[in-house]
Amino acid sequence: MDDQNLPDDETLVRQTQDGDTRAFDLLWQKYSPRIYALIYNMTANHDDANDLLLEIFAKAYRSINGFRGKSSFYTWIHAIAVNMTINFVKKRGRRFQMSLDDLDANVQNDKEFIDLTAPNTPIREVDLAELQQRLNEAMMKLSVEHRAVVTMFDIQGMPHAEIAKILGIPEATVRSRLFYAHRQLQNYLEEFRKK
Amino acid sequence: MMLDEQQLQKLLRLKRFEQPPPGYFDRALNEFHRRQREELLRRSAIQIWFERFASGVWSFRVPTYAYGAAFAAFVAAATIIGSGAWAPFTQTVETASELPGVASTPGVREVAGNKLALSGNLDWSKFYHSPASPRVVPTLRPSRTALPRYVLDGRPVSYEASFSF
Repeated sequence: MDDQNLPDDETLVRQTQDGDTRAFDLLWQKYSPRIYALIYNMTANHDDANDLLLEIFAKAYRSINGFRGKSSFYTWIHAIAVNMTINFVKKRGRRFQMSLDDLDANVQNDKEFIDLTAPNTPIREVDLAELQQRLNEAMMKLSVEHRAVVTMFDIQGMPHAEIAKILGIPEATVRSRLFYAHRQLQNYLEEFRKK
Repeated sequence: MMLDEQQLQKLLRLKRFEQPPPGYFDRALNEFHRRQREELLRRSAIQIWFERFASGVWSFRVPTYAYGAAFAAFVAAATIIGSGAWAPFTQTVETASELPGVASTPGVREVAGNKLALSGNLDWSKFYHSPASPRVVPTLRPSRTALPRYVLDGRPVSYEASFSF
């Protein structure tokens, strides 16, 4: 079933609460790619992202009877995902290796990528693998809280207000974390500049 | 010159092209189902029930009106008890004849209401030995703490230990 033809979240949650496991499968279908991307960009490791994705949905399934609809399901499951991932990354510490997903071949045709690597831009020519490696290394130098905000805002395109709701912090804090994280990333990615 | 804000955001957006292998989400859903079945077999019914109960309690929110209702109940109870209309812990001796050793004693007479005046020839031994009447006539014994701690030449010196020699 196409995501746009799926029933709304409220209906699917109610059906799941009534014991319909197929309704929860539809919630999985709708949200697992977004949640996976969130975790993956915070952990930079496919296997960790896979394990966490399964744990997050298991926790959501166990707790769904307690979901009263005061926030949207979208906010609720993202909040579970961010909190579990932050805890995981803090426990994992520095002992990890990046295990990156493949870049979609369509990136070569992406307008932004073409713009970035055009001859008149300050960014030097890089191969895709190097670009991916450097980007992820720079991201992993951020604290996990800053990485969460950058992932949700810059990569997933969420508005400040939604991020604030998910993290349970004021919007001003989201903005200040973004500002600080961007400054750090600009320093880490300095080498991309043409000499 | 550093990367400007816009260039940085364009670079970060490229991370959207990092994708798991094709068919990954279907396989992950199958794995999710398998783990769910395994978990159901592994955990006892009590554990499952407790987890659901804990999750319900965790998400429980006290409704706003409950605070008002609790305060109103407190005020009502304080008014009733404070006005003396209801005294839950008062015990009274209704008649003197309920006391052991008193019924046949001519020395007991009712003076006014619940107050008793005792006079004359009571048999006190019945009060001391009856287990049902320890509160009516308390037994007075010398307290150990009342004894002086230091006694010199048969005279109490101090009730407190002195450290200034």
